[in-house]
Amino acid sequence: MAPSAKPISSPVPDAWYPTLAVFMLLIGLVVTASFFIYEATSSRRNRSLAKELTTGTVASVFLGFGSLFLLLSCGVYV
Amino acid sequence: MITTNQKTLPSFTPLVSSLSLSPEGDLAAKLNLFLAHPHTTNTKLKPKCLNFQALTSISSYSYPQVKKMGIRFDLFLLSVAILWAPVLSDLVLSKVDRRIDLTSQSVRVTSTLKVENAGTNPVSEVLLAFPDHHAKNLAYLTAITNEGKGKTKGSTVSLPVEVVHPKGMPPALTWYSLSLLKELGKGESVTLDVVAIFTHTLRPFPEEITQAETQLVVFQDSAFYISPYVVKVQSLSVKLPEPKVESYTKLENTKISGSEIKYGPYENLPSFSYTPIAIHFESNKPFAVAQELVREIEISHWGNVQVTEHYNLIHGGAQSKGEFSRLDYQARPHVRGASAFRNLVAKLPPRAHSVYYRDEIGNISTSHLWGDSKKTQLEIEPRYPMFGGWRTSFTIGYGLPLQDFLFQSEGKRFLNISFGCPMNEVVIDNLIVKVVLPEGSGDISVSVPFPVKQWQEAKLSHLDLVGRPVVVLEKTNVVQEHDQHFQVHYKFNNLSLLREPLMLISGFFFLFVTCIIYMHADLTISKSSASYVAKLQWDEVQAAIQQVQNIINRCLTIHDKLEASLRDLSRTGDVQACKAARKAADSYLKELSKELKPLLAFLQSSPQAAQILPKVEDLIAKERELQERLMLKHSTVVDCYEKKLGGREIENRVSSIQQKVTALRQEVDDLLEIIDEI
Repeated sequence: MAPSAKPISSPVPDAWYPTLAVFMLLIGLVVTASFFIYEATSSRRNRSLAKELTTGTVASVFLGFGSLFLLLSCGVYV
Repeated sequence: MITTNQKTLPSFTPLVSSLSLSPEGDLAAKLNLFLAHPHTTNTKLKPKCLNFQALTSISSYSYPQVKKMGIRFDLFLLSVAILWAPVLSDLVLSKVDRRIDLTSQSVRVTSTLKVENAGTNPVSEVLLAFPDHHAKNLAYLTAITNEGKGKTKGSTVSLPVEVVHPKGMPPALTWYSLSLLKELGKGESVTLDVVAIFTHTLRPFPEEITQAETQLVVFQDSAFYISPYVVKVQSLSVKLPEPKVESYTKLENTKISGSEIKYGPYENLPSFSYTPIAIHFESNKPFAVAQELVREIEISHWGNVQVTEHYNLIHGGAQSKGEFSRLDYQARPHVRGASAFRNLVAKLPPRAHSVYYRDEIGNISTSHLWGDSKKTQLEIEPRYPMFGGWRTSFTIGYGLPLQDFLFQSEGKRFLNISFGCPMNEVVIDNLIVKVVLPEGSGDISVSVPFPVKQWQEAKLSHLDLVGRPVVVLEKTNVVQEHDQHFQVHYKFNNLSLLREPLMLISGFFFLFVTCIIYMHADLTISKSSASYVAKLQWDEVQAAIQQVQNIINRCLTIHDKLEASLRDLSRTGDVQACKAARKAADSYLKELSKELKPLLAFLQSSPQAAQILPKVEDLIAKERELQERLMLKHSTVVDCYEKKLGGREIENRVSSIQQKVTALRQEVDDLLEIIDEI
């Protein structure tokens, strides 16, 4: 091969996938729980849309990456 | 012997007649040619007598194809001798050394040619000829030359080979042209190593055997090197898998020693010399033929190259006849099942992981895997021993680390991976290699060291929107030597890596947004019904109460701050800071009580709140009292500090207030809890 060729590897080392999956899913589920607790307890007039959206976004980011790493650590390379 | 002659002789008559009636050429001119080239006359005469020998020796096996071929070549040689004007005779092969390796199911012919330019014009091309019936099974052809002499000796260069159709050449031959690196001047010579590999050339004979029989195969070729050039000295050696030969064509200078048969040396043979030989020998090597092999190589930039290989395997040797006894096979597999093969070994790249071996009904447990830092070996056993004509299909798959196969150069990425099958013994009739690139890659180009058919398609896989681009390469007749590396170049933006997580994130986000919309939407049908109005009012009351609670909680936080400032005071003695804290708290509390007023007014006016109102009022009153006491305590302590009274004095003065404060705080907390429960 050309001498200038340099190998490409994964942006995150493979060995971290299970740990990352567990922690990100854990954080994601906790934030999800807080989201639903907020939804259920606050009355309709006091609910703030911004707070709901931020909690939802944070939860979905953590759950999204968590499930990605879960897939990767299971051997489903997407 | 007589039958052979009878069959051979009549074939001459039509040829002669066709020659004399040939409309294209002047017969006289042809005869001239005939006389002008003594070599050609030689060709006609010498191999002819040898031919009869060969045919008779084979005819005892009543193998009709051999006879037919012999006759056809007689015809063709005669026509060659007459029609062929030796334009290319400038080149002379001063030495030809052929070695035919029959130890596996494919035939490997290595010819060492010493090419000499006897003419005056420089020559840059060497022609190779193969009979058509061999050429159609030609899987691999390469020519290597030792470049330079002395110092640089040992560095080998492979020469470009291409199919050509030279004009005026005899039929039934396929031509390949080798382009020399530099022109061959007058009197110069060059040595070439030509490797040709043929598949499906060994014919099982008999074509059907029982379980107990060993497999016999026939190999046919020419004892002389078929070439458009004059060959000065040539020899042929044939290597067999075992020293068990049923029969072989005996010519002059034929020697057999163990598992090797030698023909030659023969000297000064004219161009297109041909003498068929046939060797009938025992070969129990695995005749594993993959009729179709689909290799799918899927790249994931998250760190994996997944290879999946679907095999459609058949035993390509002599057909099995009669019944199969598993008991006999188990008891003496080498006697009762010599022609069968039990297992195959795949040499996988090092660090292969997640290896599996399965077929349509599930995992096949008869496989073994072992490996070291250089390779991983997977030994697979089909569900049953493979006898002639038996088929099986299975799938093996494995994952490979990305950094071993994917590289970056000049802004492009490329995959560098082997083309062929990891099992050495297998001959592949039709190999399809699919390279699945990640979604979002473009500008795809492929470089394969040999010609292949290629096209592109798309594949929808996990978390795909538009499908991944797939490069499909197809090649027929693949042998072990094709297991070379090939490259797929493509462009890929690293940001495209985030497609998959973004998809998952948007999925979850959609769920949350749905929840939010559901909670905010008012799904009541009848907006004027009493219960609905009551519910709305109750909602409002609830909201007001929550706000009240909120305010009280904030008041309590301010109280805590005041207490903290007192503690600071006792530690540092900074009266000014404490006063400032008091001032801030005062203004803040005032604001809060202002906020509280409209809420309380609303609650008092609302009939729905009648039940809870006393509690709320009680709470507010208690809080106010608590607030007053606390202020009193605060000012007393500050006073004492200003007067520089002792610690005990202060404690005495404050203790009664402190008791009240604690009791009130307890009550407020209780009330808050009660309201919360409502």
